[in-house]
Amino acid sequence: MPPAQDNPQSRRQFLRSTARAAGLTSVGMLVGAAASRLTAETTVWQIDPAKCLRCGLCATACVLEQSAVKCVHSFALCGYCELCTGYFIPEPNALNTAAENQLCPTAALQRHYVEDPYYAYTIDENLCIGCAKCVDGCARFGNGSLYLQIRHDRCLNCNECSIARVCAGNAFRRVPASHPYLLKQTH
Amino acid sequence: MRRNPSSPINRRRFVHQSAQSAGWLLLGASAARTLELRAGSTSQPNPFAYDVRALSRTDPAVIGYREAARWQAPHPEARRLAITDAGQLLVASGHSISRMDANGNVIAAIPLPGPAHCLTTTPEGALYVGLGDHIAVYDAQGKPSTTWSAPAQKAWLTGLSAGPGVLYAADAGNRVVWCFDTAGKILRQLGRKDTRRGIPGFVVPSPFFDLRWHRDGLLRVANPGRHRIEAYTPEGDLEFFWGKPTAAIDGFCGCCNPCHFTLMTDGRYLTCEKGLPRVKVYREHGDFECVVAGAESFPENLKHGSGQAGQDRPNPGLDVAVDRQGRVFILDPATGAIHVRTPNPPVAT
Repeated sequence: MPPAQDNPQSRRQFLRSTARAAGLTSVGMLVGAAASRLTAETTVWQIDPAKCLRCGLCATACVLEQSAVKCVHSFALCGYCELCTGYFIPEPNALNTAAENQLCPTAALQRHYVEDPYYAYTIDENLCIGCAKCVDGCARFGNGSLYLQIRHDRCLNCNECSIARVCAGNAFRRVPASHPYLLKQTH
Repeated sequence: MRRNPSSPINRRRFVHQSAQSAGWLLLGASAARTLELRAGSTSQPNPFAYDVRALSRTDPAVIGYREAARWQAPHPEARRLAITDAGQLLVASGHSISRMDANGNVIAAIPLPGPAHCLTTTPEGALYVGLGDHIAVYDAQGKPSTTWSAPAQKAWLTGLSAGPGVLYAADAGNRVVWCFDTAGKILRQLGRKDTRRGIPGFVVPSPFFDLRWHRDGLLRVANPGRHRIEAYTPEGDLEFFWGKPTAAIDGFCGCCNPCHFTLMTDGRYLTCEKGLPRVKVYREHGDFECVVAGAESFPENLKHGSGQAGQDRPNPGLDVAVDRQGRVFILDPATGAIHVRTPNPPVAT
């Protein structure tokens, strides 16, 4: 059937322009995707210490055999207390390093004498299981200088973090890989 | 095959409805699983819990006071309390100090340029307010009189107490006590570590460092990192100290307590602790007498720092004041409540 005089576009023209538009759109999408991939920053999981409830699940919910969550210490906030409530059980029989007086179930929190009556506390990350027991003891009585962070030398950065799924305080969030830690500086 | 007219459903509809039901079922199961994961995270007991439940219950036999009233601080962010010689309560909250009568009615308010971290009055009615690193002075009518500059770099004033012709200021930032004359001139500093004079030095792990001048002429200063109260002469000699670290009721708990204290007219002490929020009475020489209010009286305060509060704020502690009739006023900054407590009536024998 001859094309109608009032129709300015033939079927062939229509198909051609449609195909051209689709092709250009596809190329545009490819370019856009490549550009966004080049500019988008990779993100990693991290714990917001302000939201952490110290529920203990970081120790048990990680897919790793030993959790990637570790206790870290802000020395600027620490009181260097002789009676550190992050180190000692609530009622220690003496302020010494005897196992029965220590709060940490794996002895990962270590005590070093500085000068009377100050002691420094450090964390052995190979022993720390991220249970947050010391974090709770420190925050309840002291300055909250002990807190949890995901250590990125261990974390697998799973798409769906198994701890984030169960985190009681919704404390897990994605942060730029260029700034992978949420450090406590002051209260 | 012809469709059975008695059947209300055909095969296509049956398959469609079955698929729809299965979809809803899957959706429900998925939602239940998600909720279970979320709920399980809070409902299951934490095997690593820092458990102080046993310590937060007070033996009723040692509680010597009962609640007579409870008021609300006039403004949010209530921090400190003081009492005038006329029995008016001064409550520092927000950027003001409210003057309250014996029934908890606000009778005046003094606006401040910033939050007050400590305050005290003199028998003449002058009001001294610690505003971080410096002191503001107000007259008996609450009008600003003068401002004294910071005594040192890093000063953080957390306790004030007036003696005859002098004002003592506890500086948590420098871990010393400053002694000013009434014009704001620094006369001396007390309590700096000096092994020759037998002064151990103040240990102040957190910004809680309080003091009180007593009419016996000695200045009582809390040494929170050593869990004790020390008495100093006006010249700065250490006369005696008392106190011991323990979570038991007769000592001071945690890493740094007592956080605040005051003196009764007969020289007994009223001490406040944080972590396990409790207020106790100690006799003049430091023997434990009784509990004014145990940790169970401050459930919101007890949550602070435990993670249950859902916020990462420093422990607010408690503050205490006492009037000439022996009524004890306890400020709980976690709730802004002022608990008024009176001694239990003597038991008839």
